[in-house]
Amino acid sequence: MPADSRPRRLFRAALTVALASLIAGCVQNPNSVFHNRTDFNRDVGSLFSLLIWLGTIVFVFTEVMLVWALIKYRSRPGSPRKPEQTHGNTKLEILWTAIPAVVLAIIAVPTVQTIFKTQGAARADALRVEVVGHQWWWEFRYPDYGVVTANELYLPLGRTVNFALSTHDVIHSFWIPALGGKRDLVNNRTNHLWFTPDSTTDDAFNGYCAEFCGISHANMRFRAFTVTPEQFASWVAHQQSSAVFHPQPATPATTPGTAGAAAATAPRTPVAVAPAPGAQPVPPPTAPVQAGFVSFPADKMPNHAIPKTPIPPGLAVDTTLKGDPARGMQLVSTGACIGCHTVKGVPSMVSKVGPDLTHVGSRLTIGGGLFPNDTRHLFAWIKNARAMKPGIQMPTMGKGQYDPIVKTTLTVGYTDQQIADVVAYLQALK
Amino acid sequence: MATAATAPAAAQKGYEHEGGIWSWLTTVDHKRIGALYLYTALLWFLVGGLEALVIRIQLQGPNGRFVSAEMYNQLFTMHGTTMIFLVIMPLSAAFFNLLIPLQIGARDVAFPRLNAFSYWVYLFGSLFMNASWLVGAAPNGGWFGYTPLTSTFSPGLNIDFWVLGLQILGVSSLAAGFNFITTIINMRAPGMHFMRMPIFTWMAFIVQFLLVLAFPVITIALVFLQFDRFFGTQFYEAAAGADPLLWQHLFWIFGHPEVYILILPAFGLVSEVLPTFSRKPLFGYPVMVYSGMLIAFLGFGVWAHHMFAVGMGPIADTLFAVTTMLIGIPTGVKIFNWIFTMWGGDIRFTTAMKFAIALVALFTIGGISGVMHASPPADLQQTDTYFIVAHFHYVLFGGSMMGLLAGLYYYFPKFTGRMLSEKIGTWHFWLTFVGMNLTFMPMHWSGLLGMPRRTWVYDAGQGLETLNLMSSLGAYIQVLAVLVGAYNVLVSMRRGVRAGNDPWGGPTLEWSIPSPPPDYNFAAIPTVTSRYPLWEHHAPGTSDIPRTISDQRVPTAKELGIPMPNPSIKPLFVALFMTLMFACMLLIHLGKTPLAIAGIITCATLMTFSLYSWLLTPLEDEH
Repeated sequence: MPADSRPRRLFRAALTVALASLIAGCVQNPNSVFHNRTDFNRDVGSLFSLLIWLGTIVFVFTEVMLVWALIKYRSRPGSPRKPEQTHGNTKLEILWTAIPAVVLAIIAVPTVQTIFKTQGAARADALRVEVVGHQWWWEFRYPDYGVVTANELYLPLGRTVNFALSTHDVIHSFWIPALGGKRDLVNNRTNHLWFTPDSTTDDAFNGYCAEFCGISHANMRFRAFTVTPEQFASWVAHQQSSAVFHPQPATPATTPGTAGAAAATAPRTPVAVAPAPGAQPVPPPTAPVQAGFVSFPADKMPNHAIPKTPIPPGLAVDTTLKGDPARGMQLVSTGACIGCHTVKGVPSMVSKVGPDLTHVGSRLTIGGGLFPNDTRHLFAWIKNARAMKPGIQMPTMGKGQYDPIVKTTLTVGYTDQQIADVVAYLQALK
Repeated sequence: MATAATAPAAAQKGYEHEGGIWSWLTTVDHKRIGALYLYTALLWFLVGGLEALVIRIQLQGPNGRFVSAEMYNQLFTMHGTTMIFLVIMPLSAAFFNLLIPLQIGARDVAFPRLNAFSYWVYLFGSLFMNASWLVGAAPNGGWFGYTPLTSTFSPGLNIDFWVLGLQILGVSSLAAGFNFITTIINMRAPGMHFMRMPIFTWMAFIVQFLLVLAFPVITIALVFLQFDRFFGTQFYEAAAGADPLLWQHLFWIFGHPEVYILILPAFGLVSEVLPTFSRKPLFGYPVMVYSGMLIAFLGFGVWAHHMFAVGMGPIADTLFAVTTMLIGIPTGVKIFNWIFTMWGGDIRFTTAMKFAIALVALFTIGGISGVMHASPPADLQQTDTYFIVAHFHYVLFGGSMMGLLAGLYYYFPKFTGRMLSEKIGTWHFWLTFVGMNLTFMPMHWSGLLGMPRRTWVYDAGQGLETLNLMSSLGAYIQVLAVLVGAYNVLVSMRRGVRAGNDPWGGPTLEWSIPSPPPDYNFAAIPTVTSRYPLWEHHAPGTSDIPRTISDQRVPTAKELGIPMPNPSIKPLFVALFMTLMFACMLLIHLGKTPLAIAGIITCATLMTFSLYSWLLTPLEDEH
């Protein structure tokens, strides 16, 4: 870098930062698009700062000229001017046709470059993640590992992730503002979006559906966790394992999260993990798999990633009830739940309509990122999900609860004790 | 027979019939039809504003529970649909009706009864669309109605109202479009060649072409959707292999020209207001005309910039990015020409002028943010967020509405014979201006900080609380502004200061005749020799065009021997039966198909009968 340009560059950088932080407000803006945590956002960010700079210059120039004209040529009482009756000025008009053309050309060149860069093919060794939109939740599949999960995305730092986006029902749009731009999930086609989370720290990010998709569009959220490659490998291994809760054996089925857990559990479970065709085994053992990384640590969850949606008033939650997970498993695996949900390892639980519950106890949120995954919220959710999230398929389960879609009060259904049992079981599904 | 001199206040009541409601139902006078458009659209403005108010109350704080999610979706869908189709377009139509014949020196539009028909279709269509509230099933799929959400996934009546209602309203726009094109081409006063035509009429002329080219596209898209919903076709049925992007392409091929349908009339009005109050001709008139044409032409080639996130691929993204940026050039030229219209002038800050200046200032902001999302990679971080909401409100509120309000203050005296209060008007302006900016400026930030659009709630702790509170406070100020404006209109209509022919010293033909104008407009059709006939001798207020003296009695058409079209109720009947025919479709989804078929056949028969009866009746008495 030539020495003489350095102060100017520093000055420009400082101004850009100042402007960007003015825009981002800097504090407490967890979902700002100005977080430079991926290559994608840096590319967009530099394009954006060009747009903001030029836009600001044009704005200031135009408005100052306007206000100047208004002040200078205002009619003064008592001395009305006789304005010269000009009809135009060809030279001036050519000038202000040319200036916007030049400004737009300055924008167009990097725009086109960035289009081709961000929409080019992703690296061949990118992590493949299939995103399937459902009204109103997200299904995430890792085809290379045979992992299927919902509403919570784990991304290894430093590795490009290539999302293949499709939809189960209507058009949705996949968006994690702090990590990258959005891309729609359109019927009968698979869209792609890739970026590389390359910040050095693990973190939790909020994701949204950005295309209006029906009554609970606002409630279709998700979380993305960036973790170290070691943690990711550990998480994958755990996700590959079957359900970790079994009522019969006294000993835990397996030590959660150890490498090869899937292999260890496979022989004992009727529904074994079936790795996707052509799947790799557990990630390349470049680093030793960190044992026991089952989920993003709850205590490291930043405030902005913890959902604060209130439980609707009138939905009574009794957290003092002690649930029995074995009874809960009985209820879940023989009741209505089997119509929609999968729990790997439980023969009756193979339906793909709703989110996969195999490791639901290890998730930090429920209901499409709407509520924290704690006893109170899980209890309320099982009791009357439809009161907590408008329009959803998940039925109202609690006895005596009002189902807002069918518009009737349930005469049959789970008692509070049964709900506590179900909650205990789900929480055991770490 | 009321005249401007003897009873100006009777303007609202009519000239031919002493205030009877029948005279309004049968009127074919473009000025009365314009007034009907104006007052109907202003009423829907209150409704659309109320919908926005409820939205802002809901979003005032995080996790709001003021309305349900379903109600919220109905509200934002109807707010958009109402403001676009029932407010801004008809307000523009009001000015087309009121102004075009006067500006070109004509006695009426080419097809006066077709003109009445357009209005009645608009009225019945708007009532039909809003009747959905009464059955608790207002449209809830967004004003853009993306399939398959609006086809397979919305079984209720909600989307039926929307699909049918928009088709009804489209008939109104198409009929009006052909009417005004014919009027402008054929009925200009002697000497008024195209490049002497007032700039508002020019913009209106361009808009009519946009209407007649864009509305068939949305009509086709809607007919497909209607057939999918009612008759099991599979135009958009994804499960049957259809590509739902077909809808998006068709919708935006209409939708983007629609933006210019909404903004160009306001540009035209402002281009009338700025010269008058700067006492200087419009700077660069030919360029203003050409840039209007260019905007309209390019407007048909940019639609897919609404779809950068759907994955069209880099080639299409590049193409639509570049065409979109090109539109920035003629638009920028307009802004500078307006500023230079004022430059060197003698600027009088009337309320009309303030609103016109606000358009220049605020549309600039909307234009700049528009260029920002013309860049597809940047747009991926902006589209479907509140940044876009901010952008298009700067264009449609800061642009269209400010221009239309400028037009209202400027032309109100012409059509009522009374001035709107300037004192109340100043309050109206500043409350609108402050409220508008307080509402929409923070939305740029809420969007870039990650707030998606069309969301019923947002969570706490996302850094969005303050910004949303500001937007809501701005909305409450706007409510105040609307109340002040409504008060001004209501009071001034009865007690406003009498306006003469030409209260502002305007340059165009409409200011040469009485306020309100007699039904025949011009006693003698003027011969035009310049662009600004009333400023002919290169200075405001100088002209050879005969002016009616305000306090003289204005003779009637009969006394002058001017043949006038006869009033007719038939356009209203045709419009009514057409609307009812569409409405009968709803019965199919209520499980009453035989009744629906019977109803449709009955209404179609009555409509055809009324239409023939209309067509077989001569427009004027034999003379």
